[in-house]
Amino acid sequence: MGKVMLEVRNLKTKYVTRFHEDVYAVDGVSFAIEEGKSLGIAGESGCGKSTLALSMMGYYFPPLHYMSGDIIIDGQNISGMDPDTVRKTILGNEIAYIPQAAMNALNPTQKIIRFLEDVVHAHDPKATKKEIREMAEARFAEVGLPLEALDKHAVELSGGMKQRTVIAVSTILNPKVLIADEPSSALDVTSQKMVIKMMRQLMESGHVKSMLFITHELPLLYNVTDDIMVMYAGQIVEKGTAKEMVFDPVHPYSHGLMGSILVPEEGTRGHKLAAIPGAPPNLKHPPDGCRFAARCKYATADCRYTSIPEKTFGEGRMYRCLMGIDELKEVYSHE
Amino acid sequence: MKNTIKQVFHSPKFVGGFVIFVAILLTMIIYPLFNPGNPLQQVSVGTFARPGTYVSLYDATKATSNTLRLPDADEKRVAASLSAEDRVAMVEYFTTMGIDISELDTEDTDALLQMWDDNYDPSVRPKGMTSAKVNYYKRLNTSLQDLKSGDTLVIAEEVDGELVESKKITTTDYVRTGAVANVKTLPLGTDNFGRDVLKELVSATGTSILIGLIAGVVATLIGLTFGLLAGYVGGFLDDFIMFITNIFTVIPGFVLLILITYSIGQEQRGAAVVATVIGLTGWTWTARSVRSQVISLRNRDHVNLSKLSGHSLIRIILTDILPYIASYVVMAFILQVSSGILAEAQLSMLGLGPQTTKVPTLGLMMNWAMLYSAHTNGSWWAYFPVILVITLISFSLNLMNTGLDQVFNPTLRD
Amino acid sequence: MKGYRKYFGKKIFWFVLTFIAAVILNFILPRLMPADPVASITGKLAGGNTDAQAVAQIYERYQEEFGTNLPMHQQFFKFVKNAIHGNFGLSFSQYPRSVSDIISSAIGWTIALQLPAILVGWLLGNLLGALAAYIRKGFDKVLLPVSLFLSNVPAFGMAVVLLVVFGVYLKVAPTAGGYAFDMIPHLSWDFIKSVISHYQLPFWSIVLVSIGGQAVGMRSMSIYELNADYVKYSRFLGIKDRKIVGYVFRNAMLPQVTGLALSIGTMVGGALVAEIIFSYPGLGSTMYSAVTSADYPLISATTLIITVMVLIVTFLLDIIYGFIDPRVKAAQFE
Repeated sequence: MGKVMLEVRNLKTKYVTRFHEDVYAVDGVSFAIEEGKSLGIAGESGCGKSTLALSMMGYYFPPLHYMSGDIIIDGQNISGMDPDTVRKTILGNEIAYIPQAAMNALNPTQKIIRFLEDVVHAHDPKATKKEIREMAEARFAEVGLPLEALDKHAVELSGGMKQRTVIAVSTILNPKVLIADEPSSALDVTSQKMVIKMMRQLMESGHVKSMLFITHELPLLYNVTDDIMVMYAGQIVEKGTAKEMVFDPVHPYSHGLMGSILVPEEGTRGHKLAAIPGAPPNLKHPPDGCRFAARCKYATADCRYTSIPEKTFGEGRMYRCLMGIDELKEVYSHE
Repeated sequence: MKNTIKQVFHSPKFVGGFVIFVAILLTMIIYPLFNPGNPLQQVSVGTFARPGTYVSLYDATKATSNTLRLPDADEKRVAASLSAEDRVAMVEYFTTMGIDISELDTEDTDALLQMWDDNYDPSVRPKGMTSAKVNYYKRLNTSLQDLKSGDTLVIAEEVDGELVESKKITTTDYVRTGAVANVKTLPLGTDNFGRDVLKELVSATGTSILIGLIAGVVATLIGLTFGLLAGYVGGFLDDFIMFITNIFTVIPGFVLLILITYSIGQEQRGAAVVATVIGLTGWTWTARSVRSQVISLRNRDHVNLSKLSGHSLIRIILTDILPYIASYVVMAFILQVSSGILAEAQLSMLGLGPQTTKVPTLGLMMNWAMLYSAHTNGSWWAYFPVILVITLISFSLNLMNTGLDQVFNPTLRD
Repeated sequence: MKGYRKYFGKKIFWFVLTFIAAVILNFILPRLMPADPVASITGKLAGGNTDAQAVAQIYERYQEEFGTNLPMHQQFFKFVKNAIHGNFGLSFSQYPRSVSDIISSAIGWTIALQLPAILVGWLLGNLLGALAAYIRKGFDKVLLPVSLFLSNVPAFGMAVVLLVVFGVYLKVAPTAGGYAFDMIPHLSWDFIKSVISHYQLPFWSIVLVSIGGQAVGMRSMSIYELNADYVKYSRFLGIKDRKIVGYVFRNAMLPQVTGLALSIGTMVGGALVAEIIFSYPGLGSTMYSAVTSADYPLISATTLIITVMVLIVTFLLDIIYGFIDPRVKAAQFE
């Protein structure tokens, strides 16, 4: 067992809307990532996976609000910290983020090196410009960017270059946890491959200690991360290693999702999570029972009204369903 | 379509602007029903009668009176006829007489008169006072005593060359306003020509809005035609139209307006002509925004389908393009109306507005008020309501526009 | 570098083209009209003179002076040649002063009044707009309607209100002229003091009017920028809020430079009318007296000068914008 880099315990966060109706977007999520490991989170859009990414950083902007739970980074609990300390010591330093639309993530009117200076100075005001340039040049070389790009404005870079620049900027301070929120969804196949290769490389070289990869494209996860979690309506419904999750999904939702994918190949595009008829529940008023019950082929009356416990089995696997594993396997075998 | 309108009416900004604008329009329509007649008719002789209710003095003396004994009537009467200069002169008298006036409030008529009665002595001639001044104080004293004693006025009529007393009026005689045959309320007084300002303002607002609408229609039609042609046909036509549009964008429309309206000459310059000229110089914005919208539309599937089906250019534009740019055109139109009203006002201020004798417009009212120095002689009613109305019209139109913008461009929504 | 040259080449080409078009319009518009300006001037000057021969003489003299007896194209070249030499003929209303003399004494006042006023209004408006976008709640609710309302007060209306409130009632500033009427322009402390006190009301009336419009534009621009992805990204990298607001402000403000370039023509129009209210000795008042006294050469020259000034300012703003906003560089220079 490696050292635990990030541990999240029963995290709950909500969006407060204009009419003060709360939307419980992350509702009791727990997991951990060890040093050198990567974890993938998959789910339909709106299942709360992006919100989970934002919530894990411990820094909240309205309308997102923290409710309860712990976020522990390398033994340090950041959930109770005052926001300015989090900003100064954690954000961008211990835990870094690669946003969904990397194309627009850079300020168009600022030179890249100026932005890097701002990033480093936010955590280490004493760093000199020379030191920062050296750090930046090393990282740019590592992700395969020309050094001239440092003195350019974001608008002057191509899409692929912007993507690499964002990765370089996010990891400039060697974070313990890197959260990547669908970093490749807007790219073509070759760029996607490149991005994934680069992120693996950063892990291997030890510049990034652990990684969280959020996506709706399953093939991507299978080839990139060690473990996979499936999220549905603000909760984790199943967790396991990438191989287990793809070839032996237990939860009816994961089963439905994975069912359509046969042999995923690295970088295969187009295999979006299989469409399961129906829509997720309204998270303003989450149902008491199983949140997936309304769309589940095997749901019974019990499923709708009983609260569903997390069940563990095998080597650290978890799922959230009333039915037992054998029961589920039995049903699947008849399909 | 119905849904869009519903959405638009959910925008508080749009509704706010709409309510103000409709209120102005309703006033324009309803007010003349209560107060019909020619707005340019002169009702008062002399310039700038103050706002208020005017009671016919002649009719009032003829009306039957009642006797009312009101405790503060005498004081009010004296206070009203004691001018500010008189008050200053009285204080001056006290100081030359060496009387302590540190406690005196010159606005307190009672105290002032009390002090005057206590201290004025017509037999004393203070040192250094001219005899003219002494006589002035004597006259002032007489009129003050007259006012206080409440002399009876005698109304006399001329019969066969002799005055015959017909009526006596005492300070306690009152006439009910309803009993007087002629009472006229001028809520905003009269202007420099003696016209009823409120009536004129209502009529001017109508004309100005009409000018704005004509200017808006002209500008929108030109801009729409140019924008559609440039955007849809493209090629040389696009280059040519954009060339013209660019030039007209940079040359101030205001300057063109001055040149054209001046060249037309006062005699030909009716409200409609001025409005058309304003429209002719203000179409560039519409042309630009329509063009860019059309360019983004012209390769959409439904347009291509129509092209393949062999529909005519006019049909494609009417059914496949116009409905999609309608919201932009409406927004541009609203702005054109508002800037048209402002342009008329500015032209009129320069003396280049519509011919002055035919119709009142907001700009012309403003121009006249300034020419007759209403702003320096305290006649606020001649210009302030005009500024307020121009601002309110323009405010309401822009508010509606902002509301529409937020509905159609969701990134701007709060 | 090649990109820059191409960009500026294009801008200069447009500037020259618009300039020529402006001169042509200025020349041709009055001549297209059915009314004969020379005839109407002659009519005014001849007054009650019924002697047909004398009237014809006056008419011919003016025809000669304006060159209206020449064919159109010759007239145009004569007009251009004279204009280049700063010769716009003699004024009718202020005879025998030359038009260029009148204009050169007025132009300084207009530039000194309008340029700083529009710039200050632009800056203050942008600051308020950014503030409104950043603070939003409450502040925004009050400031936005007020700005919207202010931006809709016509420039002359604001001028009159300020004049009445501060000049007539409070008597804190003089109401008319560019300096005390009993003074002769010269360099002395008293004169400068008089100029500054006369400057206040016209200056603030233009500033107040331009603040509103700019604030409203800047507010929506800033809201748009505040929702941009780079703001979120910068926050999650731990960059201070104050620094991020700096990014947003800069990015929102840069397009406002173009906004200023595009609206400067309209703003100058409003400000010229405000000058009239204060009898400020600038081009607005000159134009007004020219219109009221039918001084045709003066009107034509004033409009031309105003057009040229607006063109130059627009051109300069365009050039500056190209330099300061890398987005333009990326879009235009390639």
